[in-house]
Amino acid sequence: MERRGPRCVVSFHTTAGAMAAERLCRREGLEGRLISVPRSVTSDCGLAWAAPPGLRELLERRFREAGIEAAGFHELTL
Amino acid sequence: MKENTFVRRYGPIVLAGIVVGAAALLLTAAGNPKNMGFCIACFERDIAGALGLHGAGKVQYLRPEIPGIVLGAMLSALAFREFKARAGSCPASRFVVGLFVMIGALVFLGCPLRMVIRLGGGDLTAAAGLLGFLAGILAGVVFLKKGFSLGRAYPVKTGEGFALPAVMAGLLALLFLAPGLLKFSEEGPGSMRAFWLISLAAGLAVGFAAQRSRLCMAGGLRDAFLVRDFTLLAGFLAIWVTVTVGNLIIGSYSLSMLSQPVAHSQHLWSFLGMALCGWGSILLGGCPLRQLILAGEGNGDAAVTVLGMVAGAALAHNFGLAGNPDSVVDGVYKVGGIGTAGMIAVGIGFAVLLVVSLLHLPGKEEA
Repeated sequence: MERRGPRCVVSFHTTAGAMAAERLCRREGLEGRLISVPRSVTSDCGLAWAAPPGLRELLERRFREAGIEAAGFHELTL
Repeated sequence: MKENTFVRRYGPIVLAGIVVGAAALLLTAAGNPKNMGFCIACFERDIAGALGLHGAGKVQYLRPEIPGIVLGAMLSALAFREFKARAGSCPASRFVVGLFVMIGALVFLGCPLRMVIRLGGGDLTAAAGLLGFLAGILAGVVFLKKGFSLGRAYPVKTGEGFALPAVMAGLLALLFLAPGLLKFSEEGPGSMRAFWLISLAAGLAVGFAAQRSRLCMAGGLRDAFLVRDFTLLAGFLAIWVTVTVGNLIIGSYSLSMLSQPVAHSQHLWSFLGMALCGWGSILLGGCPLRQLILAGEGNGDAAVTVLGMVAGAALAHNFGLAGNPDSVVDGVYKVGGIGTAGMIAVGIGFAVLLVVSLLHLPGKEEA
């Protein structure tokens, strides 16, 4: 069980976007995991990527370079 | 802090499940068919019949629950500033998949929500449907893992998002102002109905609660399989527990595989029908209930899906694809189920879902 703490939560327009983000992060050894997108982020019920907050800028850049369209980046306590 | 987190996470979804379960019990007590207090597939089928889109005389009634759900979700989305007019995510594919989701559900005799309600009434024939639903969801999850996507939706003009809510308001207007234009069953499930105000109020409450909580039968199992997140699944279980406890209290619980209300004993086809429904629901991003909620939030793709499901209901009854319940004729128990046409339709449905799944996988350069 993970301890609660601040996370950078990345939401996507599609489930496929979240899965592509997971593949990219696994390939590049970037810490994080897929989660059900939190209700506070959206009324949609897809998946999101939760990572340490310090990775936000790197994730923004890498997702952009890889053509993975994020719907938003959110700082949340999970 | 831990308790607070638990309550914040599970509270709304469990509450929504209790609201849906209680609404199903109330509607049954008020006149809806037994173990069918709430069924999205059956009620959309009844609406298709009321509009004359099919000629099955036993299943024709403009059920106010469906407009209630869409309008309840719309009011909730507007109140909490979550109404977003969006569209453009492969609407044609969604129409076709919605059509086969409905055919699968009517082969089983119920949507995923009614499957849980049937289980809550002790109907063991629904267990085959539950297993099929799980299998269908797993099939969908396999394609999600391979990158399946119908693409994202884009913002559209606000008026576009009100299309299905406006259609639903129009249907209610027809029911109240011009009922002579509609068809009403005089026997069978369509003739069994709660007073319209109770139906509408229950629909509004369920729509509101489901929008706030994101209640979804398919999404709950998808999240459990994909990311080991059981939040949405808690809503599914809350409905089951509420209906079971309610039926036990009022003496309507009957644990059996025989003579269950509007159910059949062709277990293989119950399994396959719900497998079709589950797989299609994953491709669509939500179960039939969730499609109504999304349409209420302004999602035009979900609105097209709902129309596809209504078309599927009409096809199912015009071509004899839907299941027939078991019955007792002259003291002899007669097993219902589907005929050859229904079996062929289920086979075609699986083929169509496979084609849609394969056509929407990423190309090699995207993977």
